[in-house]
Amino acid sequence: MNRIFNDLVALFDWRTGMVLRRNAKVYMRNWKTAFLPPAMEPVIFFMAFGMGLGAFIGMMNYEGHEVEYGTYVAPGLLAYTSFSSSFFEGLYGSYIRMFYQKTWDGMLGTQLELRHILWGEIIWAGCRGGMNATVVMVVLFIFHSLDLINIYWEKMFFLLPVCFLAGWAFGSFAMIFTAIVPSIDHMNYPVFLIGIPLGLVSNTYFPLEARSPAFEDYLQLNPLYHLAELNRGILLSGEWMPHFIGLLLSGGTLLLFCMLISQRLMERRLLED
Amino acid sequence: MIDSVSLPLLKVDALIKEYGGQRVVNELNLTLKHGKVLGLLGPNGAGKTTTLRMLYGLIKPDGGEIVYEGRNFVRFRSDIKRWIGVCTQQDTLDEDFNVEQNLFVHASYFRPKVEGLKERVAEMIHQFGLVEVAKQTPRRLSGGYRRRLMLARSVIHRPRILFLDEPTTGLDPKARVDLWELIRVMKKHGLGIILTTHYMDEAERLSDELVVLSRGQTVASGVPSRVLGEMLGEHVVIIEVDSGRDVEIRDWAEIHIKNQPNMILGELHLPMSAVQLSEFSTNFEGLRFQVRSPNLDDLFQRLTQSQANGAEP
Repeated sequence: MNRIFNDLVALFDWRTGMVLRRNAKVYMRNWKTAFLPPAMEPVIFFMAFGMGLGAFIGMMNYEGHEVEYGTYVAPGLLAYTSFSSSFFEGLYGSYIRMFYQKTWDGMLGTQLELRHILWGEIIWAGCRGGMNATVVMVVLFIFHSLDLINIYWEKMFFLLPVCFLAGWAFGSFAMIFTAIVPSIDHMNYPVFLIGIPLGLVSNTYFPLEARSPAFEDYLQLNPLYHLAELNRGILLSGEWMPHFIGLLLSGGTLLLFCMLISQRLMERRLLED
Repeated sequence: MIDSVSLPLLKVDALIKEYGGQRVVNELNLTLKHGKVLGLLGPNGAGKTTTLRMLYGLIKPDGGEIVYEGRNFVRFRSDIKRWIGVCTQQDTLDEDFNVEQNLFVHASYFRPKVEGLKERVAEMIHQFGLVEVAKQTPRRLSGGYRRRLMLARSVIHRPRILFLDEPTTGLDPKARVDLWELIRVMKKHGLGIILTTHYMDEAERLSDELVVLSRGQTVASGVPSRVLGEMLGEHVVIIEVDSGRDVEIRDWAEIHIKNQPNMILGELHLPMSAVQLSEFSTNFEGLRFQVRSPNLDDLFQRLTQSQANGAEP
């Protein structure tokens, strides 16, 4: 129990902050190249789904009122960006620092412990999710100004901390795979078997109906589903409180559970323990 | 009141590490004093790196006690890690930062903070001969510069003890000698150093004391000359293989020295004591041979041979 407690409270340790600071410093040096892809991705996805596919779909029913598909999918894009950015940062970014650059090995020769490195990486992954979501918000605001979508854009500011915090959970989830994949080529398994299916089957791009109790459980336990629906509730003026609570519960559980699991797996991998 | 300097910098009692039920470090005892260099020697698989990793807290021991200046490492782990500097065998430089930034970033991983960090970084860059590459990223540096940066980084926070795991592996002779000089200067400043190396001349030159490991156990310890005397004897007899008597010599060695000679480039190298040398010359009258002092290469050959045969060294 003491070990679990130490692993969890390491989140608030100065050493976790140093890992975060290190990653942020590197990002700030490359922010121009790091900024462009997340800005382009929602534009491309919106053109493909919102305008392209949306032209065939037409109007959709969202909580009793009609909305265009482009408007429906915009909050989903925001959720998907938060998820994919933090998930991929936790997978690839952390793996490269751990395996190829040996950055973690250097840190482990100091006062930093593995638990601080993991927390630092998880929070950093969440920050990447939050930062990219911020870029998407700007893009959505532009789309709204061009009358391509119709959202309550002024409420987007409320979603900013939510996107950061949800990113922590997704980053923590990714860290489990980072701990177990033998090489970077094996990242295709979590990406294509878990990341992309989860990203799509979570009410991000299309609405899902719970056709079975098991599927309903999956949705309720899935923080990305709650994030997508929370975004939609806020930006399209629908019901959002149940999803806010759902996100806190499912996201919080995923964050802590995956952190503890990845800590054990990383110990086995890096510390031969 | 106990003065911390009067206590050993590091004291290790009955250290144990097991992997898969096999002991790779077996009840190891070590003591290191301030300003001294302790060389850990032994062939691959002797347990040197595992020992070092336990001592700087990377892996947990399965038994035994590690005490720094009278403080138990388990209880005062975070405080003690502030005193420790680590230079691993493999470069772990931060490739995202240049040389100077590497030192700043590494220093940020310690509390209390490094006093006068800016001046300290400038001092390290100067002392370790990194001035001309200070703004370059590690990937653009030669092996020698990378090792220097590793070493500078490991002492940026003014540690009391430094762990050097094969610090000169892969370096050219000039770079090795340069690094030895840096290590000598650090030792002069009162830093306690634990060094593992495969280079016997390096261990002889740098170490005040040697601990020879074989299969996780200490097989000899003390000042280098004493270790060699204990393990090998005072002389090494060198005989050319084509003398025509090598079978006879091997048989004699098996009976009188309880060990086989080392075969090096067509020569038999046979460590022995003065008494054994006298017996050897009587027994092989007329045989041409040379005699030299033993060195750590002979010891290494002996250990490797013993380990391969599963015999006691």
